[in-house]
Amino acid sequence: MSNSHLFLKSGFPRAPLQNGVGRYICQLQRITLKFCKNNGSSRGMREFIEKQLIDFAKENPGTVVYVKPRRHRTPVIVAEYLNGDREWHNCRNLSKEEITQWITLMKTQNGSSSSLRLRKMWHTDMPSIQGPWTPFTLKNPASNLVIFPNEELSKPLDVEKSATEKLIELFREQRLSEGKLEENRGN
Amino acid sequence: MSFYFKTSRLLVSRCNSIALQVPKNVRNIKRWVAPTLRELNKRSKNVSSNEEIQKRSTFIEWNYNSEVFAFGKRLQENFNLVTLQRAFVHSSFITQEENRQKQLGIENPEIMLQDNDSLITAGQRLLFDYVTAFLEHSLPKVPDEGIRAFTTYLTSISNLAVISKNLGTFDLILSDNIDDLTLANTLLALIGALHESSGDEKTYLFVRDFICTQLNQKDLYEIWEISSPFESLRSYCLQNKLAVPECRIIGETAKNTVLSAFHVGIYSKKILIGQGFGEDVETAIQTASIKALRKFYGISDNMRPFDFRIKLENKYSEKVKLNG
Repeated sequence: MSNSHLFLKSGFPRAPLQNGVGRYICQLQRITLKFCKNNGSSRGMREFIEKQLIDFAKENPGTVVYVKPRRHRTPVIVAEYLNGDREWHNCRNLSKEEITQWITLMKTQNGSSSSLRLRKMWHTDMPSIQGPWTPFTLKNPASNLVIFPNEELSKPLDVEKSATEKLIELFREQRLSEGKLEENRGN
Repeated sequence: MSFYFKTSRLLVSRCNSIALQVPKNVRNIKRWVAPTLRELNKRSKNVSSNEEIQKRSTFIEWNYNSEVFAFGKRLQENFNLVTLQRAFVHSSFITQEENRQKQLGIENPEIMLQDNDSLITAGQRLLFDYVTAFLEHSLPKVPDEGIRAFTTYLTSISNLAVISKNLGTFDLILSDNIDDLTLANTLLALIGALHESSGDEKTYLFVRDFICTQLNQKDLYEIWEISSPFESLRSYCLQNKLAVPECRIIGETAKNTVLSAFHVGIYSKKILIGQGFGEDVETAIQTASIKALRKFYGISDNMRPFDFRIKLENKYSEKVKLNG
């Protein structure tokens, strides 16, 4: 989600009440279909009610369906979830198929998903499985056999080379390269 | 709340139009966002304190019988509908109705409802028995003290209230006010009602699926904190005929500084039974003892997840038996 969604409620993807660990409960508790009996914008909604609503109610006995005719108003779906969310969806000029898709979405989600900004696409209660870090974590096993005091381990880790050592190194490199040059000449 | 959403929607659309004027490569959060959110929060608090929340049952589209029927079906249970309806009626509601009728001038008010007091008592007993039996079967090595702690956690009012609310009882409860205790009691009454309608097996499965599953992915040590772990470990070793536990420092670093760390191991007959860390030796011993105890009790960090598919073996009689 982008910066323009700052005012949306934010959260993580979560299953309420360990849903599915014991048994699965459809989180849509009631759905209200509001429509007009003669306006053209409600045509798809009327078709849905005539042809599919009975089947939907039979397949989902845990969801209470209310149908509310209203004169000359836009068709609307209001879904209410078990967590107390209430989702309002405008269905103006939607076809029967589109309405079926929206209702299927509402049936399978656990709250109004479009009104939640996901901070992350995952969530865990146990961010670390290693436990807290201690100085003994990931210690090199070889250090178990060292006898202290140890000269090697007593030195600081970041001793820089002195100027003299650097000069000696440079001099050796020069000697080497000169030797190579002479070899080349000899050939 | 509705006010908040309306306002926020307006603001979102406004902030979209503002965003068009800003160069696209700027991706920080604008300086006006925080004050706006603060103001919105303040206003929403004012509104919600004045506005009384409308009960769902006062809406036109409300059919109590359908709601109760759907409630039973949602839980995939076959409730006796009369008993199920009784589970939602609290005695406070009946008293409230009687008082109202008396105020209206009816001398002998008759309310054709039965309250759920007996169901609550039955439910409480069943819940306690089934949860204890489930825990004793799943955690056979944990002592009684631990089982008691887990049972108390699972059957606490706050835990039951959350479960009850998420099962959708809130709109159906008939009571003068709905708080955590009412919600929890309704869940207990539901368990009682289910036992009356469907018997032991179904009631046990209900408790297992909705109440015991709350232990899933929980850190058991947060629920049951072992007091004086080293003494507990010593008495455990005595009881189980193990050698007396001895503590030895395995490693120490930065001694006598603020960053000191000690690594202590606990041995019983030269066998390492637990190791732990701490900022001083005492803490390290406590941590190591806890580690050792948790390993002995079978509730270590890497324990097997609970098996929530265990079924009831025999008819619930004197003691509940479970088989894996």
